Amino acid sequence: MRPLTITHAVVITLAATFVLLGLDRAGELRKNQPTYSPPAKPVVAAAPTHDPDKGKPPPHNDKPEDLPDGKGRDLTFYTCTACHGVALIKSQGLTRDLWDSTFDLMLEKHRMPPVKPAERAEILDYLAEQFPPRRRSRGTDNPFK
Amino acid sequence: MASRRNVLKGVGMATIGATLPPLGSAWAQTAPAAKAPKLLEMDGKAKLAVLGDRPLVAETQAALMDDDVTPTDKLFVRNNGQVPEAARDPKAWKIKVDGEVNTPLELTLGDLMSRFPNVSYQLVLECGGNGRSFFEPEARGNQWTNGGVGCPQWTGVRLADVLKAAGLKSSAIYTGHYGADPTLAGETDKPTISRGMRIAKAMDEHTLIAFKLNGEDLPLVHGAPVRLVVPAWAGSLSTKWLTRIWVRDKEHDGPGMGGFSYRVPKKPIVPGSKGDEKDMAILESMPVRSVITFPADGTRLAAGTKKLDLRGHAWAGDWDIKTVDISTDAGKTWKSAKVNPPANKFAWQRFTGSVDLPTSGYYEVWARATDSNGVTQPFMATNWNPQGYGANPINRIRVLVDS
Repeated sequence: MRPLTITHAVVITLAATFVLLGLDRAGELRKNQPTYSPPAKPVVAAAPTHDPDKGKPPPHNDKPEDLPDGKGRDLTFYTCTACHGVALIKSQGLTRDLWDSTFDLMLEKHRMPPVKPAERAEILDYLAEQFPPRRRSRGTDNPFK
Repeated sequence: MASRRNVLKGVGMATIGATLPPLGSAWAQTAPAAKAPKLLEMDGKAKLAVLGDRPLVAETQAALMDDDVTPTDKLFVRNNGQVPEAARDPKAWKIKVDGEVNTPLELTLGDLMSRFPNVSYQLVLECGGNGRSFFEPEARGNQWTNGGVGCPQWTGVRLADVLKAAGLKSSAIYTGHYGADPTLAGETDKPTISRGMRIAKAMDEHTLIAFKLNGEDLPLVHGAPVRLVVPAWAGSLSTKWLTRIWVRDKEHDGPGMGGFSYRVPKKPIVPGSKGDEKDMAILESMPVRSVITFPADGTRLAAGTKKLDLRGHAWAGDWDIKTVDISTDAGKTWKSAKVNPPANKFAWQRFTGSVDLPTSGYYEVWARATDSNGVTQPFMATNWNPQGYGANPINRIRVLVDS
């Protein structure tokens, strides 16, 4: 074996530096930082028997007509169902205050895209009119009457 | 079990109202306006009542909740986002444990199953919003009656064993949980929901990283291939499609923490108002609750029936059930039901009772459970809050004895 020369040492040092920098940039050297990293995307292709959609819930296809007719219906439909189904809207009857704070919840916690003030007002009018708190009383739904 | 059930079925049943509207009343339990629920049509699932289809949310009607151990097809479904694609190789699914630990871990499901003791328990999993529909005025969110709950058998490893293997630092006080479900808008680079709990709950021997439900691999819609099961606390902690446990040095702050989400008032709020976030505290243990699972609400009993045998389940979050009482006169008088011990800590408890029906006519049968702290179910949902947590009024069914 030949003794190590200065040239060898320089080449080795430079190579090691590049490798370390590369690993660092790839995040290999700083794995333990407590930051959120998104879940890995499942690998596509391979085994023909694997159906990644097997076991998923049935599809749904809401239409604007699934909401009661009224001014603001279509705007409400397209704004809200960008994310969730109409069933979630229709199952609730809320005070105007609560519909208003529902808007804040969607914007602040569920990453709803910003809505123009005039559109917000129109949707709020629609929701408050169509889905107010419902009266419930002992007599109305008795199964034996 | 089978024999007891046969005996109990010996009451003079004539017909059972199949699609009864929910109960309506200012007292005891009430529910939204009368309308037959949409029923779930999905392979592997019973005809649960659909509360929402995007995200899929479906509850178990009381009469479907009668089994001692909830069968997989009858277990409620609560999704917050989309259901991710099924894993091609479940054993290779990775779970990361990081944050305030000495040795961060990245385990495959295969590692997890072979490296830590596997345990099985019957554990109550209950949606934090269970009972929400009983609030007046209505609170925001999915309008659960009592069906956001089940007590199946879960198999997995103890989260405590995994955290011990990672070595908790003294700064570790809270967890933050992450799953692989895309958001409703389809994003996969942001968590749909990420809740967490105090380390003491994470270290409880019944808090599991689970991979089997009733002895079978988890179905996709219930979190396959691996999920958390945090019994007795809001179901949103029991992250499905689990990818990461982040051990924190402070209360977790992911989506689903803070604001009015999974929080109850520490200072009472005017019902129907917006409330103030500062007055809210994290919902931890679920409250005491009982559900009559037999007979069904709306059952008609044959003329001449003088006695009704009934049964149900009761549970109380972190605590045990002390008593269950039954009334047929809206609480003027009560009669004790027999309460069985739980199969294990955090399993629900079977109660059985018998009431006299002296004449033909209409009866409401009420069930009221009391926990080991002496805390009982109220006559009506109380401590109203905008997102509707903690509603656990007395349960009731209606029966008619034909003339």
